Order: sequence, then C-alpha cells, then structure tokens
Amino acid sequence: MFAYTVRRVLATIPVMAIVALFVFSLLYLAPGDPAAVIAGDQATPQDVERIRASLGLDRPYLVRFGEWAFRIIQGDLGVSIFTNLPVTTMIAQRIEPTLSLMVITLCLAVCIAIPMGVIAAWKQGTIIDRAVMGFAVLGFSVPVFVVGYVLAYVFALELDWLPVQGYTPFARGFWPWLENLILPAIALGGVYIALIARITRATMLEVLQQDYIRTARAKGVGQKGVLFLHALKNAAVPIVTVIGIGIALLIGGAVVTESVFAIPGLGRLTVDAILRRDYPVIQGVVLLFSFVYVLVNLVIDLAYTLFDPRIRY
Amino acid sequence: MPEPLLVVENLQTHFRTPDGVNRAVDGISFHVDAGETIAVVGESGCGKSVTAMSMLRLIPEPPGKIAGSIRFQGRDLLTMTDREMRAIRGNDISMIFQEPMTSLNPVLNVGRQIGETLRLHQGLSARDAEAKAVEMLTLVGIPAPGRRVREYPHQLSGGMRQRVMIAIALACNPKLLIADEPTTALDVTIQAQILDLMRDLKHRVGAAIVLITHDLGVVAEVAERVIVMYAGKKVEEAPVGQLFRNPRHPYTQGLLGSVPKLGSSLTGTETRLAEIPGLVPSLKSKIPGCVFASRCTYATDLCRKVAPALEEKAPHHVAACHYAIREAVAA
Repeated sequence: MFAYTVRRVLATIPVMAIVALFVFSLLYLAPGDPAAVIAGDQATPQDVERIRASLGLDRPYLVRFGEWAFRIIQGDLGVSIFTNLPVTTMIAQRIEPTLSLMVITLCLAVCIAIPMGVIAAWKQGTIIDRAVMGFAVLGFSVPVFVVGYVLAYVFALELDWLPVQGYTPFARGFWPWLENLILPAIALGGVYIALIARITRATMLEVLQQDYIRTARAKGVGQKGVLFLHALKNAAVPIVTVIGIGIALLIGGAVVTESVFAIPGLGRLTVDAILRRDYPVIQGVVLLFSFVYVLVNLVIDLAYTLFDPRIRY
Repeated sequence: MPEPLLVVENLQTHFRTPDGVNRAVDGISFHVDAGETIAVVGESGCGKSVTAMSMLRLIPEPPGKIAGSIRFQGRDLLTMTDREMRAIRGNDISMIFQEPMTSLNPVLNVGRQIGETLRLHQGLSARDAEAKAVEMLTLVGIPAPGRRVREYPHQLSGGMRQRVMIAIALACNPKLLIADEPTTALDVTIQAQILDLMRDLKHRVGAAIVLITHDLGVVAEVAERVIVMYAGKKVEEAPVGQLFRNPRHPYTQGLLGSVPKLGSSLTGTETRLAEIPGLVPSLKSKIPGCVFASRCTYATDLCRKVAPALEEKAPHHVAACHYAIREAVAA
C-alpha cells in the first residue's frame, strides 16, 4: 500500500510536466502577440522588439520553457503583465471564493445526487425513477448561466431568500459565507448532480441484482440497510471515480458561475486575464487547476481501498 | 396433535412476463415438523428454488405474485407486514444459497456479516456480535476464527464461504433452515464436509431443514422425507427409504434411473443410463392433463385429458399418477 502510494504520487510528476508543457505552448499557439499588446497602438516595430526582448520572448522556445518550469518549481509563477503583481499573490487573493464554491458544490452534489440515484434504482421503472432521470437530463442540457439567472431571479429577486450575487469571506461568519454560495453552487452543480445521479443509478441497478443482496434480505435487513450499506458500498468505486472526473466540470463551470454571480474568484481572474492576454496569470491559473484535478484524482485512486477490500496494490 | 412447524397450502407463485404468466409454482402443499429434514427434488426449472424463495417472501413483487398460505408456527407469512416478515427472516427462518462465491457481500468482512443478523434480531452491540461471530466460525469448523472474522469473502475458499453462510444462517438459532442447493457449487469432498456439518449442527441447534436439491445422493444422505416436484407441482411425496425402494410416480422412477451407478462398468452391470426424454414443459400455458404426460412412456389418453390428483398410494406415500398403483404392482 505504501509502495503503491509512493508510486502513484511519483506518477503524477510526468503528468504535471506534460500539462506544464501544454500550458506553456498554448499561449504561443494562440493568436496575438503579447509584446504588441503591451506596446500599444502607437508603438513602432522597434518598441515592440525591445519589449519582446525584455520579456525574453526572442530566445529559443525550449530554453524559455526550461527557465519557466524551473521558476515554477520554486513557487514563482511570474509577474502579471497587467498589474505588475506576482501571479501567486493574485491567485492567493482569489482562491478562497473559488475553493469555497467548489467545496460547497461538491458536498451539495454528492448529498443530493447519490440518494437520488439510489432511490431511482430502487424504484426502477416507476414514476419516481422517471422523474429523477428526467431531472438528470435537464441538469445535463441546461447551461450554467441560464440556471444561474433563473435561480437568481426566483430566489433572490422575487422571493428575496438569498443574496443576488457577491461573496462574503468565510472570516465574516459561516452563514453569510454560505448564504452567498447556495445559488451559485446549485447552478454549478446541475450537470455534476446529473452525472453522479446517473452513474449511481446504473451501478446500483447492477449491484441490486447480485446474490449477496438476496442474502442480505434473507437475513432480515431492512430496505435502508440493503440500499445504503450492502448495495451502495459495492457501487462506490464507479461512483467515486465519476465524482473525481467530474471535478473538471466544476472547474470549467466555476469560470461561468463566478461571472453570473459576480464572485471575485479564480474564474473571473482567468476570464479577465484571457481578455487582457495576461499570459503569466493565465499560465498560473491553468496550472493550478490542472494540479487540483490531478491531486483530487490521486486521492480518489487511493480511496478505492477504503470501499473495496479486493483492491490491493 | 399440534400443528406442524410449517404448513404450506396451495402455494402458487406466478410471474407476469411479457409473453404470459409463468406458473413457476402451481399449487404446492406440504408441511415440515419441528426438527425434521425434508428434501425437495426435481430437475432445473421445476420450481423448487422459487418455492424456497417464496417461503421467505424473497420473490420480487411485481412481477411475482405469491398466493395460497404459508403458516409458520400458526401465523400466515403471506399476510404479514414487511416489518413482521423481516423479524422472521434470518431469525426464525433462515436460508443458505447455492452460490457461496457470490452470496456473501464482497465489501463487508465475515464478522460483520455474521454479526449483522445478531445485531438486527438480538440487539447485540457491535463488540458482542463480533465475539459471537467468532464463536459461530468455531462452530462451523473454520480454523483460526479470531483472524478469519476480520477477513473478507475473497480471502476464503468456496467451502469456507459456505461454512460462513451456514454460520450466518444459524447465528440466531432458527427453527427452520431452508437450504437451496447448498452443496451444488462445491467440490465433492467439500460437499460431504458441508453435509456432515449441516447434519451435525441440525442436531445441536434442533432446526428443521428444507433441503432443495437435484442431487439424489444428497437426499438419500440427509433427508427423512422427500417431495418430488415437476413443472411447479408436487408429483410424489414419501419417506426417503420408501421413495428410493419403491418410487410410484414415473417421473421419480425416471429420476432415480438417471443416476449413474459407481463401478457398474467393473461389475459388468453397466447399462445405458436411463434418461427422461424431452424437456420440462413451458410453465406459461395451462396443461390440461398430467404435467408429465408429454414425457411419460406410460401416458394414455386419460393422462393427457385429466390431471391426476395426489392420492395416498401407501401409508405416508402420495403420488399424482392415475396408474401408479398398477405400476407398482406390475413391478
């Protein structure tokens, strides 16, 4: 187990290296010249050339990648072209809202989607099953920004139960913090809930056919015990896998959700950076998101053994 | 005379399917006395497993539908609420299944699975349940029970798993144990061990056993009384010795004739194995006459038109055949 953990952790290094190479290259493949942007409309070709040299953009590609990667390993993500602040500082300022949003969405999605999927599987073929699956299709097909605006209109503007937009730091109390995150989390969680509910239902349907479920019933175990202990624990591995893969949806969705609900998080930072062609910031944020994704999936791989004793590494 | 432990009357388990109603069990009646071992035998698909499952109401409804009555200690299981039924399952009546490889939950350790019934029915704490689980593992002859109790099913062999199943089934001292082909999936040597174990524990616990099997060797070994099923119906019932010596129903005769005799090629008595021609008829259409008529060498027009009733052909020996007595006399 320990050896496996070490191997898995080491295996993330080449993954991150390849991600870094992509992130670095992406900007050179994208249209637009940062030196020209910084120089502005009035600049002469010489000015642009000078700025390009000062940014180090005139040197060979691999040399620049090497230098860049070396700095990143030391925790230096560079300096924003636009604000002149270190990228790490800018990320640090913006990370709390995004992290909060993602954690709340994750908890909300798991708490809603898994019972939904379990009940749909138990009541397979009934109106309840169809309602749950219909809701799941809806969650897949309606984009985050539409759900976001509808939610904000109904629950914030009309009913006035929750704030329309904005973010309150956790330091100012749990409830004000949570209050601001409920609607964004629901909007962002739609697709995620749909995904988890569907995989839960499908896996549970398969598990409920198994002989050991019949054994559990023959022992006098009640419906809840059969579903949530005997069956769900057996269905856990695929469900947890999808939860991990789905983190990617949350990262992508967070960017849009933060714009809709005016949350000053990393998503907004990313959008702003892209619009300004602030390359160091874009690189930093994308790297961070990739790192989180790889990390979450590493944790999930290691968590398999908790659910299924047959998995031994 | 007190009522027997279990009285099954006119049990009918039907399944609704897209192409008609499948009458898996069609009007079976029998009883089990306390401490008695009875065997239910028949070919695959004759409804013996469905009978077993119906007795604990483990048939999914719908598409299944159980009718008739199953009186256990005087109470009808079929009219009980789900809660009352759950209190009976695993406690007063427990069950062992055919497939030890798949009948245990792969993600829960053995101690937990044995302890679960004790916690449910006897309100034991987790700690006491595990201690009792170790005791049960010792009882069913699993070596190093203190270590095994924390192991998972995949760490055990098939024979060991069936022992664990027996430990689960007997943990609450049930009055009736239903064993659905408990030895079919096991090696012959392990089969004998499991049968010995069941016989031994039966004497210790005093439970009655309903043994579902197609293995006549097993029947001869453990049962006191035998019920022969065919196409969802009981066709013969007799004490075990009498059934083997003097089977009345042509189907039972066929079943006994199709058992290979060990060493017959050496003693020169080797003959071609008798087989019963044809297949079990579809249970989806009502058969007007005798259910076995289509495969019976003695069948007459009477058999094809009128279903024979179960008649007492000898003391405690019933068979559903118009000609059974004549057959027996001729033989």
